[in-house]
Formats: sequence, structure tokens, C-alpha cells
Amino acid sequence: MSLLVAPLALLWPAAAVAVLADGRRRATGWGAVAVLAVAVVVLAALALRVAADGPVEVVAGGWPADVGIRLRADALGVVLALVSVVVVLAALVHGVVSGLSPRLFPALMLFLSVGLTGLFLTGDVFSFYVFFELAMISAYALSALGGEGRMVSSALIFAVVNLLGSFLFLIATAALYRATGTLEMLAVADRARGIDPNTAVVIAVLYFVAFGVKLGLFPFHFWLPSVYGSALPAVTAVLAGALANIGAYGLLRFEAGLLPRELALGGGVLVGIGTASIIYGAVQAIGRRDAREVLAYSAIGHAGYVLVALGIGGPVALAAAALFTVINALGKALLFLAVDLRGPLVSGAFAVGAFSVAGVPPFAGFFGKAALFEAGVEAGSIPAVALLFVGGALTFVYLFQIYQHTYWRPGQDHQPAPAGARVVVAAVAAVVLLVGLWPEPLLALSSQAGEALTRMAS
Amino acid sequence: MNLFLALVVAVLFGTGATLLLKPDLFRVVVGVVLIANAASLTLIASGLQRGQAPIQPFIEGEPVSDPLTQAMTLTALIIGFAVTALLLAMVHRVYTTHRSVDLDDLASSERTAVEELERGIPVEHDEAEDHAEDQVSR
Repeated sequence: MSLLVAPLALLWPAAAVAVLADGRRRATGWGAVAVLAVAVVVLAALALRVAADGPVEVVAGGWPADVGIRLRADALGVVLALVSVVVVLAALVHGVVSGLSPRLFPALMLFLSVGLTGLFLTGDVFSFYVFFELAMISAYALSALGGEGRMVSSALIFAVVNLLGSFLFLIATAALYRATGTLEMLAVADRARGIDPNTAVVIAVLYFVAFGVKLGLFPFHFWLPSVYGSALPAVTAVLAGALANIGAYGLLRFEAGLLPRELALGGGVLVGIGTASIIYGAVQAIGRRDAREVLAYSAIGHAGYVLVALGIGGPVALAAAALFTVINALGKALLFLAVDLRGPLVSGAFAVGAFSVAGVPPFAGFFGKAALFEAGVEAGSIPAVALLFVGGALTFVYLFQIYQHTYWRPGQDHQPAPAGARVVVAAVAAVVLLVGLWPEPLLALSSQAGEALTRMAS
Repeated sequence: MNLFLALVVAVLFGTGATLLLKPDLFRVVVGVVLIANAASLTLIASGLQRGQAPIQPFIEGEPVSDPLTQAMTLTALIIGFAVTALLLAMVHRVYTTHRSVDLDDLASSERTAVEELERGIPVEHDEAEDHAEDQVSR
């Protein structure tokens, strides 16, 4: 129980203190790193607890269960919280050791991790919104940090488009409250069966648009390449590896968990949009020269896989979507951290990330793709399996195009990056490799998540 | 009452969305503010019950309006306020670097930057190869 409150109780005051401290000094940065590292350990302990005993709950303020705001850690939430905070930690260490130190960088990273932890671990729709805005506002500010002109204007577009998504989420939440009379996720899932189908479809579509914008799906993607292309490397890694998880989690929780009938109704549409996203992302990525832009379009493409799995539906596909989200987050964070560095260890780490994202064993990405394959085969959908195969092949092509361009081109006299930054990248690569070699805990948690979502729905 | 609120929300949201599409960044910010207010008003309107203010002591026998939506609206307003401040700060930063808050101007300067980037890579590539060839021929 206290394990559930501990990460928030630790991170929130630390973030508030870090705002007052001067982030340009190394000591502040390392302090923030230490706090985040403790939070990662606590979240890992919580994940073990959830894996062993099932969901952990606590009702805030000692209120009766139906009145107070509930924090609830289930398999899906805790895994995503853990991965997101690990990515934020890696990016923070990367930022601190490479001497990147705008004044508010450590504080904003801490606020971002408060928001992420909170939104993955809350059981209440409105406090989800509050944590979600906390994370998003930190991300808007982070993406404008150290700002030259182009960076700030793309951060502004990022903020405006995502705010529109947030307000759509708020309107959908108002409608959901009006229709079900509660904000508690489990109760909403229970009562959503009885509401007027037309209302439910409108709510489901609003939620889909809101989270589609966060995830950067194909028709809502236009803000993504310019932000990913211009923000600081550590910030981009956080955007791709931690913030994008919000979109995937939201789609899983709100569509598959709360409104499953409407999801089943729109299954075909989701598969269609997902397919468009995969193809569009891959084709655009192959056509680009700038490595960061390639990775940005790759993120759009990979968002499509989650959507295809969601469209297929059922416990296997939902578990695959969760697993793929987690593994893809790690891989993307690794690639974005590595892409601007040069020197020993880096090209190896980049190759690990590229193999993982393309889905080659023994790297982590293989299991994400394998789970999606399994879902496609189980649904008996030949187009889905073919799509996964083609998407994987295209991913391989564009990632190794970058690899060749950046690491094999002769005559580049880049200074090798600071040793610390290279070690961070190598450490993330080691995590990706470790997850690939020993995937059982993650597989167990993700299948638990898939089952929990279907049970919530039925 | 609900119809009236729905109309107001629709007008606010529509005006906000129109302003979002303008090239002037200040209008974009105002558009975001209007949409934020449309969302707040929707929250107020979604209350399950209307009546007297939900503050003790209550008048017996009269309905009490739903306090939860009011608490939510208050939170949403505060978030909207913070977001507006952040957006204005960013617009200010854009203005100090570009001396313009017009998206068309910004887009054209970004286009030049992208063109330079696209031109820059092959040139750099060729130079590197030429250099390598030079060294070989020497």
C-alpha cells in the first residue's frame, strides 16, 4: 500500500525543491538523478508485488472506497510507469553528464515523472487528467528548453495541438461523468454497459482523438516530426520513450478497458488507421536524410502497431499491445539518445536499438513483434500478419540506412561524446538486451495486463 | 438550460477552433483559451443535479447542485490558466528570436533552415569523399 504512494510522495516534493535550486549546477542534476533512481527501485518493487499478488489499491485520505480518490496499480499501469521513469532517468543522466544544463531541466524532468507515475497509477478518470496535464505541461516546457528560434516555434505547435487533445479529453470526461455518474475507473467500466449507445460512441471517438494526438498516429501526427527533430536529445528521448506511452496507455485503458463495445464496433476503422500509420511512417522515414527525422517518422509508424493490435482485440492482442508499447519505448529512447553521439560504444548501442526496434532476436523488440504476430495469427488475419512483416522489413531498411549514414561514413572528424553519455547509452542498450534475453517477467506482466483489461470490460 | 449551455459551448469551441487556424500566434493562444473555457463550461453543464450551492447549511427539501463537477471545473480552470501563461511565455520567446509572431514568417524561415540542411548533407558527403580521394591519389 505504502509502496503505491511512495513514488509520488518522493518525487513531488523533490520536484518542488528542484525548481528552487539552480539546475545549471551539477549537484542539482545529480540530486535529481538520485531521487529518480530511488523512485525506479520503488516502482520495480511495486511491479514485483503486483506481478505476485495482483493489483494494489489505496484510497486517498482514508475516505470510504466509493468516495475518496483511488490510486490503483495493476499490471498495465505499473509496467508503463516503471518503463517511463526508467527512460526519464536515463535521459536525465544523459543530460547531466553531457553538460546540458538549462536552469529548469532537472526540475521539469522530475515534474514529468510525477505526472507519468501518477497517471499510470491512478484509478480515477479526473485525477488521470490532472496528472496527465502535469506531465504534458512539463513536456511543453522541456521541448522549448535551451531554445533557439526553430525549437520554440515547434514546441509551441506541439503545445497547441496537444492542448486541443487535452481539452477534447476533458469534454469526453465530462460526458462520461454525466452518462455514468462516477469517475472511478472500475465503476465506470461497470456502468458503461448501460449507457445510451450513441453517447458511448461519441465519448469513445473523443477519447480516441485525444490519445491519437498524444501518440502521434497518422492523421494526427503533423506536430511530431518538427518537435522530435528540434528538441534537445535527452528531451526527444523522453518524448518518444515516456510521453508517447500516455497515448498507448490511454487507448488501452479508456477504449479497451472502459468502452470495449464501442472499441469492437470501430475495430475495422482502427486497423485501417493503424495500417495507414505504419505504411506512412515507414515510407516517409525511408525518404528522409536527417537521422532524427527518420526516427520521428519511425515513431509514427510504430504507433500504428498498437492501434492494429487494439483493433484486433481480445486478451492476446491487448497483451501484445502493452508489451509492444513497453519494448518500443525502450528501443526508441535508446535510438534517440544514441543518434547524436559519436565515439566508442555508441554505434554498438545504436545497432542494438535498431535491431530491437526492427524486431530481431535476441533483442527485446523481437518479443514485441512476436506477440503482435501471435495476435494476428490467432485472429486469423492474413493482412495483419503480412503488414507486420512488411513493416518490420521497412523498419530494418531505414534504421540501417541511418546506421550506415552516421557511423560508417568516412572522413567525419566529430569529437567523441563525453564518456558518461556513452556509458548511459550503453547501459540502456544493456537493458534492451537483458529484456530480450530474459523476457519472462515482462511477458507475464503483459499477459496479466491483457487479461485484466478484458476482465474489466466483460 | 442544457440547450442554452450547449449552444454557448458550441460557439466558444467553434470560435476557438477558427482562431487556432489563424497564422497570428496571439490569436492561436486566444483560441486555446476559448477552447479551454468551452471544456470548463461542458464540465459545469455535466453536473448530475442542479439546485442550491453545495455549501453547509443546506435549506431542507431543496436539491443541492453537484459539487463534484464544480471542483473539477475549478481544477480545469487552474490548469487552463497555467497553460495560458506557458503559451504566452513561449510566444514571447518566439517574438524575441524571430521579431515576428506570424506563423507564415516562421514557416518560411524554417523552410530555409530545412533547405540548408538538405543541401548541407550531400555537399558535406562529397567533400569528405573528395578529401579521401585526394589522399589516395597523393
